[in-house]
Amino acid sequence: MTTVDERARELTPPSTPALRLRGISKRYGPVVAADNVDLDVNRGEIHGLLGENGAGKSTLMKILLGLVQRDSGTIMRGDTPVDVHDPQDAVALGIGMVHQHFSLIDALTVWENVILGDTGRIDRAAACRQVEEVSRRYGLPIDPTARVERLSAGERQRVELIKCLRRDPSVLILDEPTSVLTQAESAELFTVLRHVVRAENRAVILISHKLAEITAATDQVTVLRKGKVVFHSATSETTPPELARQMVGRDVSLRAEGAALGMLPVDGPVPSGEPPAEPPPETPAESAAASSDAAPATTGTAPALRLRDLTVVIDGVTVLSDLSLDVAPGEIVGLYGVEGNGQSTLGDLLSGLILPSSGAVELAGRPVELERPGALHRAGLGIIPEDRHSSGVVLDMSVAENLVMKSIGDVSGRGFVSRRKMHAVARRLAAEFNIVAPSLDAPVRSLSGGNQQRVVLARELSAGPGVLVAAQPTHGLDVGAIEDMYRRLRDAASGGVAVLLISTELEEVMALASRIAVICSGRITGVLPAAEATAERLGMLVGGVAA
Amino acid sequence: MSAADNISTILSSGIRLTVPLAFAACGEYLAERAGTMNISLEAMMLGAAFGSVATASATGSATAGLVAGVLIGLLIGLVHGNLAHRLEVNTFVVGLVLNALVLGLTSYLITISSFDSHQVSQVSVPWLRDIPLIGHPLFVERWPVYLLLLVVPLTWWLVERSRWGLELRAVGEQPQAADVTGIRVNLRRRQALLWCGALAGLGGAYLAVGEVGSFNQNMTAGRGYIVIAAVIFGAWRLGRTLLGCVLFGLADAMRLALPALGLTMNSQLLVVAPYLLALVAMLVFTTRNREPKSLGQPFVRGST
Repeated sequence: MTTVDERARELTPPSTPALRLRGISKRYGPVVAADNVDLDVNRGEIHGLLGENGAGKSTLMKILLGLVQRDSGTIMRGDTPVDVHDPQDAVALGIGMVHQHFSLIDALTVWENVILGDTGRIDRAAACRQVEEVSRRYGLPIDPTARVERLSAGERQRVELIKCLRRDPSVLILDEPTSVLTQAESAELFTVLRHVVRAENRAVILISHKLAEITAATDQVTVLRKGKVVFHSATSETTPPELARQMVGRDVSLRAEGAALGMLPVDGPVPSGEPPAEPPPETPAESAAASSDAAPATTGTAPALRLRDLTVVIDGVTVLSDLSLDVAPGEIVGLYGVEGNGQSTLGDLLSGLILPSSGAVELAGRPVELERPGALHRAGLGIIPEDRHSSGVVLDMSVAENLVMKSIGDVSGRGFVSRRKMHAVARRLAAEFNIVAPSLDAPVRSLSGGNQQRVVLARELSAGPGVLVAAQPTHGLDVGAIEDMYRRLRDAASGGVAVLLISTELEEVMALASRIAVICSGRITGVLPAAEATAERLGMLVGGVAA
Repeated sequence: MSAADNISTILSSGIRLTVPLAFAACGEYLAERAGTMNISLEAMMLGAAFGSVATASATGSATAGLVAGVLIGLLIGLVHGNLAHRLEVNTFVVGLVLNALVLGLTSYLITISSFDSHQVSQVSVPWLRDIPLIGHPLFVERWPVYLLLLVVPLTWWLVERSRWGLELRAVGEQPQAADVTGIRVNLRRRQALLWCGALAGLGGAYLAVGEVGSFNQNMTAGRGYIVIAAVIFGAWRLGRTLLGCVLFGLADAMRLALPALGLTMNSQLLVVAPYLLALVAMLVFTTRNREPKSLGQPFVRGST
């Protein structure tokens, strides 16, 4: 630890990059996660890495840490090309990462966590002393003997930082470090990072999708999109709207594309026979954020689905906070945001897998007793879960069995399932939803992803739900299956079903939804009519800045 | 016989019945802290009991029998560890299979072989053995009993104070986090199973060449499961686990002593007692559960 200051002095001028990536590429099958990426990270600078999901940020960092091996390209420390085969190599090269998840052991104390991964005899006193020393130097107050499970998210973050800084890294990587922090804790973190960079001439890579954070804390910013570097600038020479545009990209072409494919949302009143429960998209919303509450309440009819002040706290982390959203019958509302901002928690909640700490789910004006298993289903909510393999279908049961799974009572008599009735129902649904299967008795596992998803959709819609929640409904599907899914969701909506589409794909949301609600850090940052959703406004909302 | 004599007899039989449990418990405790629910403990003890008697008979040395027991425990630990923590076979299935295998194998082998009886020698501590009531039970014992004085503190020190133990605990709690930190999760778990095997082997061997001097079919009679119950009863604390072993040992001694004392009580009830105690303990401890978070869950890199 004492070598830090000496090292800082003998360092080359800050202009020499601490870390250089040249032409890094990584493919996962047909998916290109990193495409010929060049990146220079300088000493004495915080380098922001901005991008949506799947933009390749995490892949790039995993390559740097030796968790994933690159297909091609060069990593250079200074002027020397290096290889990173495993996390130990990364440590030896002075690359340290502050992990957001899975890096602290709750049951151990702070000092035990900090020395975990070292070798040699344990010296408790020395370890505590070191923790205190690092903690003092960087202004990260922590009790070394406290058990981690008793610490707040902010304190855990401090422990992560101490653990990392104690190993004296010259390049420090932080992955979405503020996602679980309060505002004050975030500010504190950035003060520490400033110190680390300025006074000790280290390099910091800050991965984030929050624009405010990037503009406030970084010196350089690089925007990744679909595995490629699309934009690079000194942070002082760019603006949040510019960054938002670069991050989301695809600008105006999107709606034109959608129109060409015949995938444009139905504008104006929905053909459900009922009065639209919200102002048509042409009506300019005064404020994006305000329209969320105002819109559906204006008409007398209750929305088909109302999420009211939903708050979910998991392990002391607020995953959803006061989330409110209405979906009217016949309407498709897209819930859009970068992955990990509470969408999957909302999906779990609407599947009945977890209970909110506070707040309510109302279906057709009536609150649902979420404690009772199956209550959401009985109240008329169908769901296409995000992870269809674990909660959508039972892979090793037959197509027919999967199709009747939520209505076994309808196909059985006197306590026995009637195979005849079950097959009749399954045949009808399979025909209606174009499910292509070797036979109705074939296990769902043998079906393609698109057909598996059709099984889920058919089952959920066959119950005649008033509300359909579709969480990432086209993940992993091919183009044909995606279009089919879009058509069916649109049909469901025009049949009067209220559809909540939870998606991280902007194209999808733009193609389907008439209103787009943006989620960031478990809160709705704004609701826009699709017609007003420009890349810039969405980008700002996704980045947590109210547009 | 006087009441004091009765108490002294029950105590002494209780302690002798506790010792094999205590050895195995030290092993199981450590394995469970590292995240393995080691069901094959029964196989380790039973296999070691057989092996120790066979070896003692062949070599004429009961001590050699003890060593053989330890080796057989290690072997079973090695098999379990490689199946569960290298090939990722479900640890419970591995354990049950090993238990059935060893039970069947030893039952068969004992029918086709005959062994001489050998027993390790007794140590009688001067002066202390004369303490009334507890003197004889505590200080006149077969010598391996006194190994416990070494094994118990060593186990505690390993888990709570050594770096190896720190890593074991990390691995038993959050293997993903341990992996990211650079700890070889499945290697640590295999090592913990070896420690468990050695001690369970010692316990099983003590039962055979220490107490009885011979092997009979299924001679452990579920003691492995009793030890697992003791670890649960002890809520994954070594001291309380050993207390559990003592309770179970005494209950067993009571069961054996009842007829001699002229009491008519259904001894089956006392057979059930340890399991009832463990069940009650589980009920009580569910509220403040200190169970290692990843107990019984295999670790595969990349999965969460």
